[in-house]
Amino acid sequence: MGTATGIIKALNSGIKHLAVKRFTLRYPEQKLKFVGDGYQFDPASGVAIAGLKGRHMLFHDHCTGCQLCAIACEGVAEAIAMVKVPNTWDQNKKSIMPQIDYGKCVFCGLCVDACPFYALYMSNDYELSSFTKEGLIYTPAQLQVKPQVQQDSEIIIDKRGARHG
Amino acid sequence: MAEQVIPTKKMPPGLQVENVDDRIMTLNVGPQHPGSGHMRIIVKIDGDYIVDADPDPGYVHRGEEKMAESRNYITNIPHLERPVIHDSCNILYPYILGVEDLVGIEVPERAKYVRVIAAELNRCIYIQYWLAIYGIFLGHSTMFMWPTGDRELLIDLMEKITGARVTHAYFIPGGVRNDVPANFEDVCLRQVNYFEKRIKEYADIFYDNPILKARTEDTGVLSREDAIRLGTTGSVLRASGVDYDLRIKEPYDVYDELDVHTNVLKEGDSYARSKIPWLDMLESCNIIRQALEKMPKSGSIRKKLKPNPKGRNDEVYHRVESGRGSAGCHIISREKPEPYRLKLSVSSFRNLIALPYLLKGEKLGNMPAVYWSLNYWPVEADR
Repeated sequence: MGTATGIIKALNSGIKHLAVKRFTLRYPEQKLKFVGDGYQFDPASGVAIAGLKGRHMLFHDHCTGCQLCAIACEGVAEAIAMVKVPNTWDQNKKSIMPQIDYGKCVFCGLCVDACPFYALYMSNDYELSSFTKEGLIYTPAQLQVKPQVQQDSEIIIDKRGARHG
Repeated sequence: MAEQVIPTKKMPPGLQVENVDDRIMTLNVGPQHPGSGHMRIIVKIDGDYIVDADPDPGYVHRGEEKMAESRNYITNIPHLERPVIHDSCNILYPYILGVEDLVGIEVPERAKYVRVIAAELNRCIYIQYWLAIYGIFLGHSTMFMWPTGDRELLIDLMEKITGARVTHAYFIPGGVRNDVPANFEDVCLRQVNYFEKRIKEYADIFYDNPILKARTEDTGVLSREDAIRLGTTGSVLRASGVDYDLRIKEPYDVYDELDVHTNVLKEGDSYARSKIPWLDMLESCNIIRQALEKMPKSGSIRKKLKPNPKGRNDEVYHRVESGRGSAGCHIISREKPEPYRLKLSVSSFRNLIALPYLLKGEKLGNMPAVYWSLNYWPVEADR
């Protein structure tokens, strides 16, 4: 193949893309759709359920303060600290619950795998940025809140190429 | 030639002053130059020609191997995939195979197929990123944009399986951590087919482009004998005409049940080295389709493991074919929850040894084309 035909072929390949729809996700307006409600773990079967590994969800009515999540995190990120909470739950004799520092968390989900009481899951919330370091530390009360996440676009493939919509 | 040392000046005793030739200039490429990654190449040039090159890695050494000695077999997983976050499944693969060997645990059949799919998807994700940087190194901005965009199709698939876009921490001794979501086979097939159609278009704009060929053909030629003698692996070895792929030679998990082909080119120049990974991606798409077809539709995905597993008193070495070449992991175990010693044998560091040989006699402008064609990842080489 000659030089001229090669360059024309390359240019032609680019020009064809004028008719193709834009693939880019326009992030703050569009947000990706995820499978499920986040990464969860079933201790009975020992297998997790697929989902996004985002911010944690803590179920106060299940947590017994056993510290297994904090022990699991020790070798990974040391992001989990056990803190005192008001003595409202019977199953939680020591009245301690995990507090998670998202400045350290690597979102591996090993703490979720360690929880034997269905108390700690991960949710679809991934927008965790904060202006201060203290804002990244989530207390048990904050972890209890179920996040409202906008999920409206996914990859669509048709004749005119792939796009987010 | 100018006199280097001023005669009247009294030099400290024992100081050796190098007699620098006026013709030869020493240049530091990196460690902050965007074209070198986190590493430095000390090149000596005569005019425009490189007469000597000395790669100087080690700027991103994180002590992964030492860290592994103080963590147990499970908590080692998140940090051992950090050397190559784009290829995290493949860099973790030999470690997982080694731990399974030490602990003595069998992997369910379905988990093996899911692992192969995840590893092949990850290989494509890595190669797309590498190809994008190769494009921008050669001043081809379109080749930066297209692979970065098309990579999103596969990142979306990995996010659906593992829940993370990079650093998945998905493999675990005894299988994988979670099953693939419902309806995954259809979505995966659709996106992989479209991805294959897209990367075939790269031939027009990049691989058949006469400008790229002029830049890369006959630069940095590594002969078949040198490639074997220097101990290179992966795409560098296969571009020099050696048919060696660990997926075929030493099949692990279910690669022996799949129809895998190696891509071999004989030229051994930068063009061949840049084309082999692209051919590998097309092959990966084939493997993913085969694995999706042969995968058992249901069944166990993970064998239960004790919370703090202890390895037997032994040492094991396992290696896999990663996106860059052979990635190995040597674990010595002393009946404790932590490994006694862990050594990562990575392909980037092995391929780097070819760089001084390839750069000699090349023009300085050809340096990026030769350097990045080695499929080198600085962070992986430093570990």
